[in-house]
Amino acid sequence: MTVCRARSLALFGIDALPVEVEVDVSAGLPGFSIVGLPDAAVQEARERVRVAISNSGFKFPTRKVIVNLAPANLRKEGAAFDLPIALGILAVSGEVPPERLDGLAAVGELSLDGDLRGTRGALSMSEGAFTEGIPTILLPASNAREAAATGKVEVFGTKSLRESVEFLRGEVELRAAEPEDGANEGAFDVFADDFADVSGQGYAKRALEVAASGGHNLLMSGPPGSGKTMLARRLPGILPPLSLSESIEATKVHSAAGEGNGSLLRERPFRAPHHTISTSGLAGGRSSPRPGEVSLAHHGVLFLDEFPEFSRTALEVLRQPLEDGHVTISRVAATLSYPARVTLVCSMNPCPCGYSGDKRRRCRCSAGQIERYQSRISGPLLDRIDLFVDVPRLTRDELRGEGRAESSAMIRERVASARAVQTARQGVPNSALAGRRLREICALGDDSEALLSHAIDRMGLSGRAHDRVLRVARTIADLVGEESIAVEHLAESLNYRRSSLADG
Amino acid sequence: MPTAEERGAWLFFSLLQARAGTSLVTRLGNIPPSEAMGMPPERFAAATGCGEKVSSHFAQMRRDFRPSEVVGMLSEKGVAVVTFADDGYPARLREMSDPPPALFVDGGIPDGPYVAVVGSRKASPGGLDAAERIGRALGGRGVCVVSGLALGVDGAAHRGAVSVAGKTLGVLGCGIDIVYPKKHHALFDEVRRGGAIVSEYYLGEAPLAWHFPARNRIVAGMCETVVVVEAAEKSGALITARHALDAGRDVWAIPGPTSMPECRGSNKLLADGAGVLWDVDEFVESVAPDGGTASAASETSGVSEIPFEVPAELPAGEAAALSGVGFEPAGVDVISARSGVGVGELLSALTMLELKGYVSRDSGGGFVRKAARR
Repeated sequence: MTVCRARSLALFGIDALPVEVEVDVSAGLPGFSIVGLPDAAVQEARERVRVAISNSGFKFPTRKVIVNLAPANLRKEGAAFDLPIALGILAVSGEVPPERLDGLAAVGELSLDGDLRGTRGALSMSEGAFTEGIPTILLPASNAREAAATGKVEVFGTKSLRESVEFLRGEVELRAAEPEDGANEGAFDVFADDFADVSGQGYAKRALEVAASGGHNLLMSGPPGSGKTMLARRLPGILPPLSLSESIEATKVHSAAGEGNGSLLRERPFRAPHHTISTSGLAGGRSSPRPGEVSLAHHGVLFLDEFPEFSRTALEVLRQPLEDGHVTISRVAATLSYPARVTLVCSMNPCPCGYSGDKRRRCRCSAGQIERYQSRISGPLLDRIDLFVDVPRLTRDELRGEGRAESSAMIRERVASARAVQTARQGVPNSALAGRRLREICALGDDSEALLSHAIDRMGLSGRAHDRVLRVARTIADLVGEESIAVEHLAESLNYRRSSLADG
Repeated sequence: MPTAEERGAWLFFSLLQARAGTSLVTRLGNIPPSEAMGMPPERFAAATGCGEKVSSHFAQMRRDFRPSEVVGMLSEKGVAVVTFADDGYPARLREMSDPPPALFVDGGIPDGPYVAVVGSRKASPGGLDAAERIGRALGGRGVCVVSGLALGVDGAAHRGAVSVAGKTLGVLGCGIDIVYPKKHHALFDEVRRGGAIVSEYYLGEAPLAWHFPARNRIVAGMCETVVVVEAAEKSGALITARHALDAGRDVWAIPGPTSMPECRGSNKLLADGAGVLWDVDEFVESVAPDGGTASAASETSGVSEIPFEVPAELPAGEAAALSGVGFEPAGVDVISARSGVGVGELLSALTMLELKGYVSRDSGGGFVRKAARR
């Protein structure tokens, strides 16, 4: 028998699909070819595998070697098939017992001296192996911890081709990687940025607390240097702790983008892309798709600083993820989707020069310029933003403050209990309420109803703003554990409307 | 009555003035316009002291100018034209040093007296409120409120006048068929109904930056009195005030907080001797003394008051919050520090106060105190 099979996995979105590596060595002119829709990186595996095998002290067959990657219709990319190809070849030449390759998936990129390099998507691969019924996965040591996080399959990390071969021959023992002990949920609360360090800005902090509690998207407006970015950075720290399943999902996205650090993500991600970002940078894409910023912020915070400067098309692509919680990318090769459930935080200056309404610096913009600047952010995306808050620049006295403020941990406790109320009542955060359910869940008493209709007349609120006010009022009531929305909750909610323009 | 030829000539000079950007009425002096129009370009330039650019425009535009076509086009659009030769030309405007050769009018120019209310486009809520109240009070007295239909104070003054069905006149820096700023679309219609929109620029002329200072001389020229509500140190409102002073008109200004850049110009006017507008009723009484007893009622009757329970005494929380709100805009955090009310509670108290009309909110999210309307 001259055909040997090794199994491997190919990353597709954040899922891994099984790939069978078939190796045939037959008589004929010495040669090495790979078939089965390989891309350039896979084609180059020929040279890497050949050299790595010889440099590991084995003999590369001097016959005709054909490698087939099945299924043949799936496009394979990347260098992660190096290891299974090498193992398949060595199985044919008798260095590795072929039966040891059953029930095992191998993934990894070879270097010329036979060492293994890390690969992206390790966690997705181990999940993929589990769904395929493959009990064991062999991959580079640097990825082992991440891949073991699910605890569903046996994960062996190996440093080199030589070590893998010896392991398969049973000459050395490898220890299966353990799931991280940090996988229990309490440990997921280490944050460098704490609200305790922020003195003043009570208004913005309160708004962020409400945003975190109801999963509301938020827009901060204020002059440069007022601390918008600093405040936004602290939002992940007051969101409810990442659950294990959320952490696994977020890690899979990061790993698929090649941004994983080899272990589970413990902090809620905070992504702050620059405003020159392209559509595919934000949503994900490229010819071989990678997750974009909105997916990398999955279960965390996507912060768009200088919101009006983002291109309109880039912002348009945010509409689907904000609505559905995932982003779908269609390319010639395939259509795939990445998860993208984020809390969106935007910041902007009140006018092009930034100093409108500032006490100490004179604004140099004309009324027309300000109107044009602000009208740039009108549009459908704005409908998804529930809270609008003005962040003024603080004076020196206020900055010095009255000592340490409330810590993020204390705020997070209130947020978590408000979230728990929402989950028990409707299964989703308040920000996702719409239509009839919104009316039912946010029913108002007579007093509140009178206040709201008065406010609509007096403040010129639109229908959209009406829903927004209700959702936010519901969250404020949940924060204090009230069952019905009282007048003061509604009144506070009315304060988070867009201040500068008539509400759009 | 002016001859058609004379009117046509003024119309021609109006178009030429807009193109060349030089004041031709002054330059023409005593030369009859129809005669000047017939001159060869070189002689026209010599007689009026214009440069080469103006005389080449003169030659080119005269070739294409058909007065009957222009007048026909205007009447088709329902736009009247009042030339310098017409009896309907505002008498006070004639006294200015640089009157426009013709005015295009949409609506009917109301009878006087005329009072201009001008100020910043980025006025504070207090300023907007004052402008609207003045507009309302003047409108209720039968005084025609003149302003520039711009954002901010101008718009508020017009709005005040139309809210009591008073007379009002909007002077534009663009053709009168152009709505600028676009936001004032509805207000344009209301002003047209309550009086007229006029402009020295022909239909379709764009709102170019240099038109606005020129427009201000018409605002000042139309009126006996000019009120400056809020004006920064370099602002169009101050240009209007200067034109008014040059022509010997009365200038009033509303005192504003010292630290607000938007009030420095108007405060400076006060220091230079402008009339101090400290009380709207007193001001209206001094501009239009014959109003009699009806005035007090008219000021309040126009307020569109929505019935809402305003308790005689504010609840304790709201009263405490109000104590932290001053006459200069302050952010929520400042108010919280001043009043000692926590942010969450304060936010809801401020909304209640806003709805009750005790405070208002400016574009930067700052709150200011406001006289409650009951």
